[in-house]
Amino acid sequence: MLTLDDLEKTVKPLPRRHFLTQLGAMMTTIALPQLALANESGKKVARRIVSVGGGLTEIIYALGAEKELVGVDTTSLYPQAATKLPSVGYARALSSEGILALSPTLVLASEDAGPPTVLRQIGTAGVPVTVLSANDRFEGVVERIQRVGALIDRSAQASQLENQLKQDWQRARAPIIARKTPAPRVLFILSHSPGQVMVGGKGSSADAMIAYVGARNAIEGFEGFKPLTPEAVIAAQPDIILLTEQGMSVVGGVDGVLKLPGLAQTTAGQKRRVVALEAMFMLGFGPRLPQAVSALDQVLTKAMQG
Amino acid sequence: MVKSRLFFSQQLTHRPAWLLMLVLILGVWAAATMGAVTITWSDWLAILQGDDEPLSGGAYVLWHLRLPRILFAVMIGAALALSGALTQGLFRNPLADPGLLGVTSGAACAAALTIVLLAGSGIEVPVALRYWLLPAAAFAGAVAVCFILDSVARWLTADSIAGLLLTGIALNALAAAVIGLCTYLATDEQLRSLTFWTLGSLAGANWALTTALLVALILAFWALRRLTHTMNALALGEAAAAHVGVNVRALRVRVIMLVAVLCGFAVAWCGMIGFIGLVAPHIVRLLVGPDQRRLAPLAMLVGAILLLLADTAARTVAIPAEIPVGIFTALLGAPFFLILLARMRRGS
Amino acid sequence: MSHSHTSATELLLFNQVTVALGKRQFGPFTLSIQPGEQVAILGPSGAGKSTLLKLLARELTPASGQAQFEQRSLHDWSLAELSRRRAILPQSHEVAFGLPVDLVIGLGRVARTYDPQLSSIVQQAAEQACAAHLLGRRFDTLSGGEKARVQMARVFAQLWDVEQGLLLVDEPLAALDPGLQFSLMEAIYTFASKRGHAILAILHDINQALQGFERLIFIKHGAMVGDYQTPHVTLPLLEALYEVRLASAVTDTGEVIVAPSLKQKISA
Repeated sequence: MLTLDDLEKTVKPLPRRHFLTQLGAMMTTIALPQLALANESGKKVARRIVSVGGGLTEIIYALGAEKELVGVDTTSLYPQAATKLPSVGYARALSSEGILALSPTLVLASEDAGPPTVLRQIGTAGVPVTVLSANDRFEGVVERIQRVGALIDRSAQASQLENQLKQDWQRARAPIIARKTPAPRVLFILSHSPGQVMVGGKGSSADAMIAYVGARNAIEGFEGFKPLTPEAVIAAQPDIILLTEQGMSVVGGVDGVLKLPGLAQTTAGQKRRVVALEAMFMLGFGPRLPQAVSALDQVLTKAMQG
Repeated sequence: MVKSRLFFSQQLTHRPAWLLMLVLILGVWAAATMGAVTITWSDWLAILQGDDEPLSGGAYVLWHLRLPRILFAVMIGAALALSGALTQGLFRNPLADPGLLGVTSGAACAAALTIVLLAGSGIEVPVALRYWLLPAAAFAGAVAVCFILDSVARWLTADSIAGLLLTGIALNALAAAVIGLCTYLATDEQLRSLTFWTLGSLAGANWALTTALLVALILAFWALRRLTHTMNALALGEAAAAHVGVNVRALRVRVIMLVAVLCGFAVAWCGMIGFIGLVAPHIVRLLVGPDQRRLAPLAMLVGAILLLLADTAARTVAIPAEIPVGIFTALLGAPFFLILLARMRRGS
Repeated sequence: MSHSHTSATELLLFNQVTVALGKRQFGPFTLSIQPGEQVAILGPSGAGKSTLLKLLARELTPASGQAQFEQRSLHDWSLAELSRRRAILPQSHEVAFGLPVDLVIGLGRVARTYDPQLSSIVQQAAEQACAAHLLGRRFDTLSGGEKARVQMARVFAQLWDVEQGLLLVDEPLAALDPGLQFSLMEAIYTFASKRGHAILAILHDINQALQGFERLIFIKHGAMVGDYQTPHVTLPLLEALYEVRLASAVTDTGEVIVAPSLKQKISA
């Protein structure tokens, strides 16, 4: 709110030469002033995109614009090919010079991207920076696809993708909506390190996913991610514990999860109902959202039956 | 204090100073040639010509991004090292550091409070002000901590430096608690802004900031000229320093204000960058001994070199990504700190 | 300014000065020191000798009474001005950071804004304090006796080019061997008498006080209990001060030596 909403809108490039469009050429050959002039005269130059945010990278691939992608951040893990691209590093600690060296014509960023000064520097250097809002809902995904499509001149592909997505969405959601069985209580645990274990409250991305598969978030008392406390976990009475695959391996598998304070005392713990999905797949809110909902629904249903 | 003034300028012309100066200049040159974007001779020429043509390509990166950042790193390093040297001299303790006083965490605390409370209260801040709001808050936090520190320490325990140090530790704990509370209360979005203050980064450098810092450093250097020799007298102990005619209270206020300005500036624009303030004065003490008149200016040089080194590594190790500079200052600083402790143990 | 019952030539004048440290009251102290006088302060440990010295040195502010130095209230002096008229040789000799010896000695003159003679004075002061051979070394590598000499040289440097100043000395030699004590005390006498400085010294050694000082001030239970010209001091007065039985002997050369008698402690 305070420092980032001025970045919500595209950072307007200054009325300055779009010199960076030739940087790619400069990297391989010698910088020639004539090239810069050629661009000034309005010659069409290939679009070069840097994507900061795994969800955005997936959208770009889904729109078939992967050839225009010249750099991604560390959360861009899908599709596999994206990990072969130059990495601009951790989304919150970007380097203006590093990104400019990739001579992008457009930087697409999630709200995580920063620091703000770096985004400002890139914008000032003449590269448009667009920060897309992190609306972790199905509508948000649709909106992002439309916006990315418009920004990279692929509105037609975007509409196509949108229709496909809506169909998939109906297909994924229909059986869930039709189901009459009582909703299980799901506790989502996020852990980046063994000592840093958080649970997902209302309004978190995990909360949205839990709602989409017709389950109930066991945590109702607070918003966002907060540190796990044993009493709160026991009071939440979860039927299932949900993690990301990365988080699961950090705490040491199912046995490690059950050793976390309080979890063994819950129904989920006693029945060893602990499930996990890959982090970007489950919480990336990209074009794979319908598949993610189906997959999550499956693992939860299987856990409840087993 | 003509004698000491003479001394002060003489020290800079002594051999270690020249050597360090040379290292720094070479370092700046090397750092300017290193980075994600390739810089050619024509880029340097484009800058040096200074005509009205807007810069482009490598010249733009060099002039608007790389050079200000390099000079910023040099000056922030000097400022951190100087505030470290002053703090160590004031506390007569080679392990003292502005962090110890609570100045650094005071600044970070003010920034954290601003992020969380202002957003929570729903006050709309004009976009133009937002850019300046957090740095201003951090700066105010550093000065406020110094002010509280001085008045509380004076009120509690007269003129004792131990009292000041203990007050600093208490303020540090308080600031840490407030930051912790802010982190707990913050939304994900606010947490992103908070991250900046703990990671530390020189990415925000620009010419305006660099100029402002240069002015601050020149003023600090000027103030230093009169302070350094009387700070030597502090080594005799507070009572003996007063006996030889040093107004310890006034000296303490001046040193503290100087540290607040330097640290406040550094934290406000770069977040928390550790270890420079601790390590640089130590290296100089090993090189030329503990005389503050030589220590202070040489520590600035060493601090400048160290931070330049760390930041250049942060910029270039993982091109096109960037690694937080704090990692490299800690990589340089922590082993040195341990060696130091080992030496002290052997010495005692 | 009060000149009621004293002449205007006093170097230092205390009139009914008291001070409170925590719950303990000290004083009233009433005394005057003439220029060039050599006064020893005697008294049992914890009696308040150091407190009196701190009052004289302006380290403590009196709660009541008047304290004057050279006919001016002690508190009207700036620390820098005062440092050019009086010096204090401290009890402890520690210096942080291992400063070089030359610098430590030179610090005696840190309050002088213009000091062209600095290096030659440092050299001479070091010679006077038998510390010339220590110049160039680091203070923290010195032995206890060497540290005492350097601190003394620092005090000498402070009052080197001053006349009729005041030298306050706080049991500086208590931990040193007798030979060193003797030579350092000699250095202090020589230095002070040459410039007409008054010496006011806290001492533990009764004999040193009797032999080297013309006037003795007795402190006990936080107050002054006696102020005598040395020839008037008798054995019973000293016995009452220390609450110990003393024996005295006269040497061949006529010096009086006083030492605790191995008999029982007398009752107070």
